[in-house]
Amino acid sequence: MDIRFWGVRGSIPSPGKNTVKYGGNTACVELRFRDPQRIIIIDAGSGIRELGDHLLIHERDRGPVEADLFFTHTHIDHIIGFPFFAPLYIRGTKLRIYGPATYDEDSLEKVIGSQMSYHYFPVRLVEAAAEMVYHDLKEGHFELGDGIEVTARYLNHPLLCLGYRFEHQGRIVCTVYDTEPFRNLFAEASGSSGSDDRTADEGQIVADRENSRLEEFFAGADLLIYDAQYLQKEYESSRLGWGHSTVEYAIAAARRACVKRLILFHHDPGRTDAEMDALTSVYCRSDPSGGPEILFAREGMQIEV
Amino acid sequence: MIGDRTVLSEKGLTFYDKSDRVALFFVGNTEKRKNAIVMDIALGCVSMTDKLILGFISRMPGFSPTVTKVFEVCNRPETSSHDLNKVISLDPVLTGRVMKLVNSAYYSLGKEVTSLIHAIILLGLNTVKNLALSTAVLESIGGMNSFRSLSMDDFWVHSLGVGVLARSFARQTGIPVTEQEEYFVAGLLHDLGKIPLNHCYPEKYNGALEAVATSRVSLHEAEKMVFGFDHCAVGGLIAEKWRLHRNFSDVCRYHHDLERGGSVNRHFVNIVSLANCYANHWNIGSAGDAPPKAAVMEHLQKMVGLDPARIAAIRENVLEDIENARIFLQVATEG
Repeated sequence: MDIRFWGVRGSIPSPGKNTVKYGGNTACVELRFRDPQRIIIIDAGSGIRELGDHLLIHERDRGPVEADLFFTHTHIDHIIGFPFFAPLYIRGTKLRIYGPATYDEDSLEKVIGSQMSYHYFPVRLVEAAAEMVYHDLKEGHFELGDGIEVTARYLNHPLLCLGYRFEHQGRIVCTVYDTEPFRNLFAEASGSSGSDDRTADEGQIVADRENSRLEEFFAGADLLIYDAQYLQKEYESSRLGWGHSTVEYAIAAARRACVKRLILFHHDPGRTDAEMDALTSVYCRSDPSGGPEILFAREGMQIEV
Repeated sequence: MIGDRTVLSEKGLTFYDKSDRVALFFVGNTEKRKNAIVMDIALGCVSMTDKLILGFISRMPGFSPTVTKVFEVCNRPETSSHDLNKVISLDPVLTGRVMKLVNSAYYSLGKEVTSLIHAIILLGLNTVKNLALSTAVLESIGGMNSFRSLSMDDFWVHSLGVGVLARSFARQTGIPVTEQEEYFVAGLLHDLGKIPLNHCYPEKYNGALEAVATSRVSLHEAEKMVFGFDHCAVGGLIAEKWRLHRNFSDVCRYHHDLERGGSVNRHFVNIVSLANCYANHWNIGSAGDAPPKAAVMEHLQKMVGLDPARIAAIRENVLEDIENARIFLQVATEG
């Protein structure tokens, strides 16, 4: 598998002189399979615009674009590039679109398509020329054909959000963003109930169990792309419950799960290139104890697994 | 043979057994329908195909006593997880919907989620909060005369009472702490099947309630007479549609059926059935049931392994829990 990062930023596109090196586009990751040739795209953040242009300009000889597009969830930074994915407007393009189902009656197609309506965008989704087939996903395991297997697993985010585990010819690539470590929401006493201790105990058991279960999900991955929007001190000061992890937690979790290579992803929009370089020098040194290779994701970065 | 004597009156069709007790009763049926009904029952063909009920189940709203509090808790900028847990745990429909979401979305979990605490941590406060609000904005059950035959408030107190009792019995019988909440949820949900019957067919349901008051039949028997099926069947259907844990669907379906064995977790169902008996025996709210039969209570006590003295000791605590719940909700109503 060849992985290429077209967008690595979280929350909102953040162009400017301070993000030139690591990039300001929001989440979009391309997984390329060689034998047979298949393209999987994960998320349609603003980075997907350049991916679309690349496919049309540099790979025109291959014929119409055919790809499997996986949405981790439908928060705006993960869908904002979708209307700007040029192959949408080319007849012959085939997209199989996957994403998490939620509790309401709105389908994935409706949620993603809602930004392509009169108030937000001049072209409606129904006017796109591409052939699109939607698949609402829940937790589970399925095959994409050509020996590609996918496992979907719910993460901890303020919207139902899926992590994906792609397996092909013994190689494993996992995406675990946007997510925050499960935590005991009942740890603090409510001050009004005599059952607080029991509730807190159960809450702790549940949170520990879910964190372990998530680590099992990406255990042994050759490449793990993990949410690392914050530093631990930032997270603890005011960002609990926002649905993102920390650099420190991502590294510890990857170590516990014996991951071979960890890509820290979904950078905070305010994180400058200088800060990222400084963090790289602290966290990305080679680990003599055999821990994972650690890299901060950078726009345009290509990795072979 | 369904009955030894059949009477067709203006109200409907009644079958009496050998002791001249009402065996089956159908409201508003004509002579023309009689043979078809008899044939259906004889062939066991009575099935839940009622479109009104099925439609109602798919968009079942929350309870009026809790809806105001749901809005208050969920519209705060910083929703308290404790308050969210508490307000959901006081509403059978909302509890059922959260369980439905967690178990339908997370179908690959090795073990299904049966506790609200687990569900809230897994789904996250934001998702649960929005689910609660989406349920609350539907016309609430009990508001706008939608809870027409049973008293909404009495039904709510009964459901809560059975939940609290079931959890207490679980504790008394040595069920581990982490599993006790499941008994509360089961008690809260056990009469879910009465909600669509009462909402969709208030007049017919009144007929069933009157039959309980005037004859010696139990409510689920009277429901069978009126509808051809009872709240247990409807509750089982809801549990199935909402993909609730097997223990919950068994409780909904079999809490009046003490004979059913097979794959049913009988001990679990027995505890909730006994809690139901005591809620009725002590008049904790009312869901239209007749007073429990002594023989049934004795049988369940024996099966569960609790004696009446131990059970009597928790009565005050149960009443206190219900009063606290009422105060919690009234704070929202008044404030």
